[in-house]
Amino acid sequence: MKLHLKFDFNAVCRKVLDEKLLEHNIKHKIIAFGEVELLEKLSEERLEAFSSDLNDYAIEIVENQKSILVQKIKDVIVDMVFNDDTSMNLKASAYLSDTLGHSYGYLSNLFSEVTYTSIENFIILQKIEHTKQLIINDNLSLTEIAFKLNYSSVAHLSTQFKNTTGITPSAFQRIITKRREFNQNQTN
Amino acid sequence: MPTRILKKSWFIKSIFFTSAFIILLIGGITYRNIDDLSKSSELLTQTYRLNVELEQIFSHLKDAETGQRGFLITNDPLYLEPYDAGRENINYSFAELKELSRNNPTLQKNLKDLNVLIDERMDYFQKAFRFSAVGNYNDQNFKENFYKGKKLMDTIRLKIKGMIKSQNDLLKKTQHTYESNLKVTPIFLYMVLLFSLVLMFFAYNKIIRDLKEIKASNEQLEIFKESANQSQIISQHGNWIWDIDTNTFKYSDNLYRLLGEEPQSFESTVENFMKFVHPEDAEKLSREIEKMITNKDLPFVYYRIIQKNGTIRHFKGYGKLHESSDGGKKLLGTITDITDEIDNLRILEDRNLELERNNRELSAFNYVASHDLQEPLRKIQTFLSRLEDKESSKLSEVGLTYIDRIKNASTRMRLLIDDLLQFSRTNRADNVFEVSDINELLESAKQDLAEIISEEDAIINSDKFPKINVIPFQIQQLFLNLISNSLKYKSKDRIPEIHITYSKIKASDDPEILKPKKPYYHKIIFTDNGIGFDNEYAEKIFVLFNRLHNKDEYSGTGIGLSICKKIIENHQGFIFANGKPLVGATFTVYLPIT
Amino acid sequence: MQEDYINIILADDDEDDRLFFTDAFDELRITTNVKTFNDGVYLMDYLNNEESIFPNVLFLDLNMPRKSGLECLKEIKQTDKFKDMAIAIYSTSASEEDIEKTFVMGANIYIKKPNDFKTLKKVLSEVVTINWQYHTNGLNKDNFLLRL
Repeated sequence: MKLHLKFDFNAVCRKVLDEKLLEHNIKHKIIAFGEVELLEKLSEERLEAFSSDLNDYAIEIVENQKSILVQKIKDVIVDMVFNDDTSMNLKASAYLSDTLGHSYGYLSNLFSEVTYTSIENFIILQKIEHTKQLIINDNLSLTEIAFKLNYSSVAHLSTQFKNTTGITPSAFQRIITKRREFNQNQTN
Repeated sequence: MPTRILKKSWFIKSIFFTSAFIILLIGGITYRNIDDLSKSSELLTQTYRLNVELEQIFSHLKDAETGQRGFLITNDPLYLEPYDAGRENINYSFAELKELSRNNPTLQKNLKDLNVLIDERMDYFQKAFRFSAVGNYNDQNFKENFYKGKKLMDTIRLKIKGMIKSQNDLLKKTQHTYESNLKVTPIFLYMVLLFSLVLMFFAYNKIIRDLKEIKASNEQLEIFKESANQSQIISQHGNWIWDIDTNTFKYSDNLYRLLGEEPQSFESTVENFMKFVHPEDAEKLSREIEKMITNKDLPFVYYRIIQKNGTIRHFKGYGKLHESSDGGKKLLGTITDITDEIDNLRILEDRNLELERNNRELSAFNYVASHDLQEPLRKIQTFLSRLEDKESSKLSEVGLTYIDRIKNASTRMRLLIDDLLQFSRTNRADNVFEVSDINELLESAKQDLAEIISEEDAIINSDKFPKINVIPFQIQQLFLNLISNSLKYKSKDRIPEIHITYSKIKASDDPEILKPKKPYYHKIIFTDNGIGFDNEYAEKIFVLFNRLHNKDEYSGTGIGLSICKKIIENHQGFIFANGKPLVGATFTVYLPIT
Repeated sequence: MQEDYINIILADDDEDDRLFFTDAFDELRITTNVKTFNDGVYLMDYLNNEESIFPNVLFLDLNMPRKSGLECLKEIKQTDKFKDMAIAIYSTSASEEDIEKTFVMGANIYIKKPNDFKTLKKVLSEVVTINWQYHTNGLNKDNFLLRL
């Protein structure tokens, strides 16, 4: 038997964070995904213990200011692609600089420096990932997805999908379907 | 046929039984009539005798009277003789009458009455004698007595007359009944006889007709037997019949011929047959024959025989129990000489082996092309790029040109190898047919070409396709090759447009299909508005490595359309090209509907 | 708190290809730790060793003596502890069906060995970057399919 799950990573992480903070008895306020405001001063040891505990869940405490900003950029983009449909209509650059209060040039340079990739590429990657999810989990047609993700045409989405992943959307769907069947046969 | 004959025999049987019944009926009726006749004559005799006796009684009575009178007149006892005899005779007659009237109560009663009357009369006679003895004839009493006697005599006469009359009446009545019976009976008998004659006529007709039919079917059977004989010779068959009840064996003529012998030249027995069987197969065959006796059904058995001249032939046999309607059991067997078949099979097997060997060599070549040739070429190209990156500053102008030339040549070689590979892959035997959504395959092909399509702003319209049983990867490849072909040979002064239409057609209605393998086809037409081509090349463009254009004008290996043709051939379909220079090209694909 | 190195392993029996591969990573500005093996048996021996460091991306050549890339792929996919490892097939061209088959069997990446060094560098850098994205951004690895 095999179950196919769909995760809301943000919600999962939030839940884990919340539980861990309570466990360590830390007074806190979760502001956004990836940002927690501590309402008390923590000793070095407690911070260390909390940090190593979070590491088990592959959650890192990011100290560096640059990293924090990059993480914020990523959060905004992920939020934009996955959740907020209306912001898709805006230009990402304008939206980012408005939301984060820095010039787009600065954000762009910073992002490339830390992540070895551009903001544009990151957005495309996220959009394609979202497309994959929609193809597999929601069984949406390419036309519907193109509309939902604000692509000018199906061809544009197809091209971007192919350029990013090297395979066509239909090949992607076929492979994932076959792989599920294959794994089913392997376990049976 | 058997049921028909069975029905007929039933019909004839019923006619036979009806006729027998009618004859019995006629016999019965005749017997009854004769019986009636004899009864009637008996009655006649009886009546006659009765009448005679009655008359005689009266005459005896008269004799007695006459005698009495004579005596009374003469007083001579001589005259008393008739009187006495008369009395005696009367008694005799009465006895006789009693006997005759045994079955007739009315008559008996009348006789009793008559008897009383006669006795009374006799009484008067006696009284008269008493008067005569005294000789007093004038006595009043005598006269009265005499008169009474005469009166009584009249009564007796009347009585007898009445009896005779009633007897005659009875006779007449009975005779009448008999007569009327006898009058009707012959007509009835005649009718019945006529009817049974008609029936018999029908039966006769039927029998004659059946006989004719039997004769005809016998003739047919004879013809069939002969043609079976001939077909046995032609098809190298023989058969045998084994009567289980009598344990006799019979070979057909051709079975002898199959054994290389003259028909019926030796006794047909199992033992004699086994003498011909190849020693290596004898045991197996004997086992099968034993099985046949118990199982009453013989599976196909294969064995060899050796003819007297040493020729070995391969036989295939089959046997089955046949039970006739009367319960007789016979095993029927058929033997066929399959030597030619086996020889052909062996040749075919050899050829298949050769073909397989060739195919293996071809796949080995495929592997060499795909892996072993590609690898060194790739390395040459990679090292070339390393050389260019790292060492170009150390090379002279000429050296750089040479490197450029090598690069071009190796690029072209790569293109050729890739296309050749693609071509030989379409030859692979393990391609699996699947019922596929053709719309999806076209969509995938379009996605593969998405970049160039959007670069050229190309317009691609297509009809909706049904699901078709195809090798999906190959059909996708076909779409890809045809669309990219159209985009490659686009016209420089207009936006490329490709229209793909679908229809279902009847092979006989389409003039393009000359030798259809299936009655119906899917017809897919690709029409573009590219540079087109001269129709004299319509067939040539599908030939491997054939190119209509110079390498410098349009890059290509001349393999793409050959791959299309190969793919369509793999699908038992057809592909045709049609071009008009500067207007466009049309490719028509036919896929059989299975 | 990032790890200092991205760990890369290549199993390929061809010496030239191993050379191109390591050279390409040397020239890339990503800090990587590249290990190579001559065939599938050596590779699996290493991976099954308790003390070995698992690579972030494993590159598998398909045609190798003793144990082919597909056999390695099968073994790796059946072992739970390797499930976080991204697997890249690194091979000369194959038919579309064969490429799909490797994806179906669990490969994440299929790389047709490029014809020139520049492309090789670009391809390898792309693989590492995208893999890094998946790693750091918590993307669903089951949907990670890449063909270059």
